[in-house]
Amino acid sequence: MGIRRYAILGAFALASVSLPAFSASAEDVTISVWSLDRDIQPAPNLIKDFNKLNTGIKVEYRQIQFDDVVSEAMRAYSTGQAPDIIAVDNPEHALFSSRGAFLDLTDMIAKSSVVKTENYFPGPLASVTWEGKYYGIPKATNTIALYYNKDMFKAKGLDPEKPPQTWNELLEAARKLTDPAANVYGLAFSAKANEEGTFQFLPWAQMAGGGYDKINSEGAVKALDIWKRILDEKLASPDTLTRGQWDSTGTFNSGNAAMAISGPWELDRMIQEAKFDWGVTLLPVPEVGAERSSAMGDFNWAIFASSEHPEEAFKVLEYFVSQDDRMFKDFGQLPARSDIAIPPTGEPKKDAALKVFVEQLKYAKPRGPHPEWPKISKAIQDAIQAALTGQMSSKEALDQAAEKIKAVLG
Amino acid sequence: MKRILASVTDGKGFDIGLVLLPLAFLFIMSGLPLVYNVVMSFQEVDMFSLGSFVRPFVGFKNYVDLFSQPETRPILLNTALFVSSSIAGQFLIGFGLALFFWMNFPGASWLRGLFLVSWVMPGLVVGAIWNWILSGDFGVLNFLLRETGVIEGNIFWRSDPNYSLWAVIIANIWLGTSFNMILLSVGLSGIPKDLYEAAELDGANALQRFFTITLPMMRSTIGAIIALGLIFTLQQFDLFAGITSGGPNNSSNVTQYWAWDLSFRQYDFAKGATISVIMIVFVMLASVVYVRSTRHEVRG
Repeated sequence: MGIRRYAILGAFALASVSLPAFSASAEDVTISVWSLDRDIQPAPNLIKDFNKLNTGIKVEYRQIQFDDVVSEAMRAYSTGQAPDIIAVDNPEHALFSSRGAFLDLTDMIAKSSVVKTENYFPGPLASVTWEGKYYGIPKATNTIALYYNKDMFKAKGLDPEKPPQTWNELLEAARKLTDPAANVYGLAFSAKANEEGTFQFLPWAQMAGGGYDKINSEGAVKALDIWKRILDEKLASPDTLTRGQWDSTGTFNSGNAAMAISGPWELDRMIQEAKFDWGVTLLPVPEVGAERSSAMGDFNWAIFASSEHPEEAFKVLEYFVSQDDRMFKDFGQLPARSDIAIPPTGEPKKDAALKVFVEQLKYAKPRGPHPEWPKISKAIQDAIQAALTGQMSSKEALDQAAEKIKAVLG
Repeated sequence: MKRILASVTDGKGFDIGLVLLPLAFLFIMSGLPLVYNVVMSFQEVDMFSLGSFVRPFVGFKNYVDLFSQPETRPILLNTALFVSSSIAGQFLIGFGLALFFWMNFPGASWLRGLFLVSWVMPGLVVGAIWNWILSGDFGVLNFLLRETGVIEGNIFWRSDPNYSLWAVIIANIWLGTSFNMILLSVGLSGIPKDLYEAAELDGANALQRFFTITLPMMRSTIGAIIALGLIFTLQQFDLFAGITSGGPNNSSNVTQYWAWDLSFRQYDFAKGATISVIMIVFVMLASVVYVRSTRHEVRG
């Protein structure tokens, strides 16, 4: 921490020298923002609009790549060059907040007239929370649900207005819809050995009463057994093991899978590519009346604890939040808020799907939050893959994962 | 004073200067990171202590932890299989092609040049394309094998633990063959033609000429290519990222991909460094063998 301490001392020294000069000339305060948003995505556009307001705060933007967000942020923070504001993926949030790298915003949020915690979906809000305090503000959110091909449902004698609601119904439907002669699998999803696999599996475990901290519970084992049966019976492509969600859903769009589990980020592509009637329904549950659950994705805003202008940085965040109603209309992302209605797009299939996704968001749960989430996630991915390739039984695989996770949780 | 100056401009001092300059460069550009990496493997490192050099010393804990993990052994074996099969495949096919184009039929040099296209392509692009070719349901490779009657059902190259490592090996052989071919072609054209004429006059047949002239004359080239091949295959990362991501269940995971996964996915930098150190040891051993095997030729 040597370098950091010097850097902070240096920063203080610099600040104490330059502060009087700054206030005398009423110079703008500069706030730096890092996120992975491209030019057509929210951050750079909101910043442009904010800078036009001439509030005495000037915001500088830097785009970082998805894979670099954490390592770049960490390097910057440990060498004392962190930005004021950053957008991080929600499962990584706790890594920073637990170590005090992010500023505790609880008091500022309590005083704020713009940011109100009761406006947010519980899942995204939980992901910025660490030990009862808020260390960030959800930026946007997404979740997963079940897409299904209505034309294929009709062709196989299934009611297209009654998509599967339980795991058994899902299996039944997948069996009926699978048609090897026509190159059609019943279901497409992702069990890839990266965060996507965890993202897709955890909701199943949670619906059956499991969770990352009780991953070898009876329900979670049952969930993995169902996954295994889907693959063993060839109701889904064996490539499910190495294919991400985007590629899996691609096979749904091309008519090679009758159902697909994925998120709202697929909508625009599906509207363009899918030459059939489709719908979206909530993720099937273990049995009627069981607890619902889903995954929760997307990024959160946070202010680094090292920021020299936390008040101003929070003002910038307040501005971002005040523009949340543009999130979907202008940028196609779902705001993490339950008080903002998604405006109709004029595309009936998309509007119907969005309604389902917004409903599903109520049940979305964050991954963690835990500072060592990547290790927990890795244990879960290993278990999924060990079971699905038949190298271990679901129970053995999840027991092993539980052991690894226990070591992480301490 | 004058003597020292004279020695620097023309003499021993000049020679030492010539040696020191590249040595200093080597030390700064490769030596320091290497040392840093080794030191890191004996420390407890996390994201927040990345910026400083002084970190808790943990002795061999990282090594012990690493070797007690169940996936370590299979991954090391995978690496050995990947490196040996890739080098063997790249070298044999490359040598075959080099000999073929050496026959100098019309258009040979053009075709040889075109082969280099595969070498010019970025690894991630190659990975993405092979990802499609090897796809289980709609892959071109499966289609070809099925149509020619080699296989009955589709092989899930990327997702079947029995095939996933071979999927990456096939792609890597394709990627590295042309480079082998070009270097070997250069080696072949360096062999004096009169040797062959003399051998032919003495009644040596093609096979004898190959084993008594071509192979011995190519010894240093072959040594260099195998050493380079070892380095390139141990560096091969993009294909794993593009095709299998080390899956399913680590069946196609190798040390270089694993080191990255540990460091930058799980933020376990110490373990990532530990694996790199193990890899360094292997590369060192290989380079000793390489230097010893080509020393004779280098001195002429």
